[in-house]
Amino acid sequence: MSLEIINSYPKEKRYTLAILQDIQREHGYIPKEYMEYTSEYLNLPLSDVYSIATFYKSLSLKPKGKYVIKVCNGTACHIRDSISILKELQDILGIESGETTEDGLFSLEIVNCIGACALAPVMLINNKYYGAMTKEKVKTVIEDLQGVSANV
Amino acid sequence: MLINIDGKMCKGHAGETLMEVANRNNIDIPSLCYKKGFEGLGRCRLCLVEVKEGKRKKIVSACVYPIKDGIEVITSTDEIIKMRKDIILLLLLRSPENDYIKELAEEYGVKSPKKYKDQKNDDCILCGLCVEACEKLGTNAISFVYRGITKKVSTPFDDPSKDCIGCGSCAEVCPTNAIKLREINGTRTIWNRSFDLIQCTVCGNYYTTAESLKYVEEKLDYEEDHICERCKRKAMGSKFKESFQNIY
Ligand code: SF4
Ligand code: FES
Repeated sequence: MSLEIINSYPKEKRYTLAILQDIQREHGYIPKEYMEYTSEYLNLPLSDVYSIATFYKSLSLKPKGKYVIKVCNGTACHIRDSISILKELQDILGIESGETTEDGLFSLEIVNCIGACALAPVMLINNKYYGAMTKEKVKTVIEDLQGVSANV
Repeated sequence: MLINIDGKMCKGHAGETLMEVANRNNIDIPSLCYKKGFEGLGRCRLCLVEVKEGKRKKIVSACVYPIKDGIEVITSTDEIIKMRKDIILLLLLRSPENDYIKELAEEYGVKSPKKYKDQKNDDCILCGLCVEACEKLGTNAISFVYRGITKKVSTPFDDPSKDCIGCGSCAEVCPTNAIKLREINGTRTIWNRSFDLIQCTVCGNYYTTAESLKYVEEKLDYEEDHICERCKRKAMGSKFKESFQNIY
């Protein structure tokens, strides 16, 4: 367990979220042992840390896929039928939003406005924007990513 | 400070809430998430009352409203009843099978329209009194987890909690009896964890968990006799009697 990220913070309650964010960034999720260590380190009840960790959408208790797909369902995207984009993704990947494919490649999430309304409907894969999505485009993007991973 | 509640002049001091003053004066204000001895949480909003301050009128939650000198309070108006009914309707939709909520709904003549039936059936109304109780009397073993429609009260990871001492304070304060506490053959089960119960050395009844006793003893740095509340009170009573007999 690499605890430096946690140990580098002052032992104060107000750093809980920052610590959890760091763990999330490093591991792609918050492993249980890390949450327990954070609680010990900050001398905070585990229930408090767990409460925070489950509250924020950007923190996850389960390992996320290599590619995290965020489908925007903000107003602009919704009006431009983001739901059909989501459905297409669900069909191709065989998972619901909030889940991860068994091969650990893709996680699917619905998010509210990501501030790229001009590109609606838009999705985000690991910080890369894919604008003006259509069902066909979805297919190509996913196939490309699957291909890249298969070739590695 | 003097305030007027439903025509009755009541004394109170700065920092007190309306609920506290009303309670002391035996004026009933409906509530679910208020418990004497705890700070008001303002979560159920059943305690809505009307406050008149000079010419201004407003609706406030009595359990979190700090009194001001000279205010006039009305605990029940048509408007307030209407609001309470709306709140009770929402509670009824959430907890349609809960006896306490059903009773409340009956009292206010609230029926849930068929078209909303039934999404979810949860006895917990998320008032958070249990979380508060565990923080104050227990060990911070439970908290609110997740959010929005998935929000609930639980132990971390829904696992049996290492911190929990099985004191039962959470179940005790719950206004809707939503927390399952079972006691069979000297074992108490709560939040998926089982505890051995300790017997009272006087009456022999099981009355607390070993973990709770240890927790209290460590806190007080004092070893207690294993006597249940009832027997303690009895003993105290007879001691009183004795000492009075000696006087007269
Ligand atoms: S029984 Fe456990 S969860 Fe409930 S108040 Fe006591 S310590 Fe907290
Ligand atoms: S008693 Fe005041 S909000 Fe619940």
